[in-house]
Amino acid sequence: MQPLAAVLLWSGISVLGAAAFGVLALSRGETVNAAWLLTAAVCTYAVGYRFYSRFLATRVFGLDNRRATPAERFNNGRDFVPTNKWVLYGHHFAAIAGAGPLVGPVLAAQFGFLPGTLWLVIGVVLGGAVQDFTMLVCSLRRDGKSLGQMAKEEINKTAGITGMLAVLFIMVILLAVLALIVVNALRDSPWGLFTIACTIPIALLMGWWMKVWRPGRVGEASAVGAVLLVGALVAGGWVANQPAAATWFRHSGLSITWMMIAYGFIASVLPVWMLLCPRDYLSTFLKISTVLVLGVAILVILPPLRMPALTSFASLGEGPVFAGKLFPFAFITIACGAISGFHSLVASGTTPKMIQREGDARLIGYGGMLMESFVGVMAMIAACTLDPGVYFAMNTTPAALAQASTVLNQAGFVVTPETMQALAAQMGEHTLIARTGGAPSLAVGMAQIFAGASSALGGRTLDALWYHFAIMFEALFILTTIDTGTRVGRFMLQEIVGHVWPRFAETSWYPGVIASSGAVVAAWGYFLYQGVVDPLGGINSLWPLFGISNQLLAAVALCVGTTILIKMGRARFAWVTAAPLAWIVTVTMTAGWQKVFSPDPRLGFLAHAASLAGSANREAARLIFNDRLNTFVALLFMTVVTVLILTSVREWWLVLSRRKTAIVHEAPYVETGYATGD
Amino acid sequence: MRRETERETGSGKRETWLTRAARVARRIVGAPDYKAYLEHCRAAGHAPTLGEREYVAQFFEAKGKGVRCC
Repeated sequence: MQPLAAVLLWSGISVLGAAAFGVLALSRGETVNAAWLLTAAVCTYAVGYRFYSRFLATRVFGLDNRRATPAERFNNGRDFVPTNKWVLYGHHFAAIAGAGPLVGPVLAAQFGFLPGTLWLVIGVVLGGAVQDFTMLVCSLRRDGKSLGQMAKEEINKTAGITGMLAVLFIMVILLAVLALIVVNALRDSPWGLFTIACTIPIALLMGWWMKVWRPGRVGEASAVGAVLLVGALVAGGWVANQPAAATWFRHSGLSITWMMIAYGFIASVLPVWMLLCPRDYLSTFLKISTVLVLGVAILVILPPLRMPALTSFASLGEGPVFAGKLFPFAFITIACGAISGFHSLVASGTTPKMIQREGDARLIGYGGMLMESFVGVMAMIAACTLDPGVYFAMNTTPAALAQASTVLNQAGFVVTPETMQALAAQMGEHTLIARTGGAPSLAVGMAQIFAGASSALGGRTLDALWYHFAIMFEALFILTTIDTGTRVGRFMLQEIVGHVWPRFAETSWYPGVIASSGAVVAAWGYFLYQGVVDPLGGINSLWPLFGISNQLLAAVALCVGTTILIKMGRARFAWVTAAPLAWIVTVTMTAGWQKVFSPDPRLGFLAHAASLAGSANREAARLIFNDRLNTFVALLFMTVVTVLILTSVREWWLVLSRRKTAIVHEAPYVETGYATGD
Repeated sequence: MRRETERETGSGKRETWLTRAARVARRIVGAPDYKAYLEHCRAAGHAPTLGEREYVAQFFEAKGKGVRCC
């Protein structure tokens, strides 16, 4: 009876998922409830986890619970610690989930809710979760080695260097684009800026508490920090309503850019316990609790999706949020949530050092990524519950809006200035027009969902508070990524320069620390500045570059995974990583090519530069330079991918044709001392 | 089962549950756990080499080298 019950259960889940997809795909003109989207996603995740991840764990990689993990063999009570799989699931999720899965789907909503959702759900099951799981298992079998080390050992030195460069590139573009999202959310917003500014002294107090006053008492310090954070949020509303006080915290995008650059530099130079660690704890608590609350709120109110399933921008490529057709740009815009190369750094970083049993990698690596995808689906729901007219007014600069006004009118996506003013007043803001970057529109969507769920407590009067809570929530963990990213970039730069000037690599030598921090901050600061002053809003050019660089890193990880599978004698299963690799490379190359060479000035960097040539605009020379710089960056990314693919394919050919002996650099087998079993 | 906690009151089942919940929360957010380190040293059969302050300082330093995703 038990096998029959299982067959019936999984058949039921599959049919339910297929029915939900059917409803989503066949809806034309009528409003669809978010419940169908949730059902389609959850059923697909369940089937993918139950069958595909099991296939990967048992048939492809042959995970063995009798084999001791690095956490058991090198247990030191600090970084190598055997950890319960559910606890580690939470820890891993907190490390991989950031602003990416929240912002990408919001931007991709311009194509309608269907393309982004399909990519999120199918992409994660066949691509993103496979990448995370593969990297985790490969690192687990190699004493917790990093992606760069594995690329160097398993492919060759060129691939190792390519991988390292890819990490540096992605770091610079990633930090710039994330900082741009914060700048766009906080400019001309005294409430938002006041709240975020308060997080700095709060973090300093927490740092002093848990390092100096009561060492290691993170729980106490975080509780105090959370209370103060709520106080700052409420006080922000008061500040925004006091004309004199509001002036202090009302700043242009350019002023906030310089503040961000100064902040990034200081955070990278200060000891980690002062600012970085406490902010990280605050954002982790806030991230996990808010995601849970958002999930429950969506389930409680099951909002209708007001955005159509598919908009005309998918085929026309004239979208006002960002230019380009559905293929390839939907797959570049949504990286985190579907497949994110950045995860390979976490999956080959701290997590493999904490896994208790090999079999746990399935839940943590594959299951952790499914949860991130679910966060992406919730972000898509939050964005698509907005009136499409409001969505486009918020995510489009006046210049782009003017160009797209005809198409928007034809599609019926219009909104009156009065509606936007009323919405801004409702959210406690001066204006919500042209708040590009995705974070503010997600915040409005989240605020409306939270306000709907909490109507019994306070109703819509809490809208403004929820809006600024959502802004704080996003800005807080974006700033955490900026802290850690600048620092990691600094370490990498110090290590690289250290090869020719050993003293520079000393992390305690202050001239080296200051110079390397300054260089990393200057690099992402330049792209941030470029984005802020860009008349098209910056997101239009920077977000695709970010997507391309992130997918480039995914290509590095999938190349390493495919090479290892071939060397393990599992070439017949190499398609599990080779197929997503082929897709990612196709998407990255097509997007990169179009961003550089498209004749449409809104899409192609070179065409945009050509359209400005001879212009009387005083800014033209600088804009042309930026277009050429972006062209160089995109071509560099494409070259790096090409080098990596050619290097890997050569290695595969040598091994498969037996011209080279396959040597897998796995750690030797050691029997576990723990009890085994499923 | 271990009963000592940061705020040991010697009470019964609820205290034990809270202790475990606190430990789970600490692990999830990646907070230092000196008691776990002491337990590890005891199980490994050697005296702890780090005092609490040194342990906490080293833990934060290592955490600062980790990556947070986008």
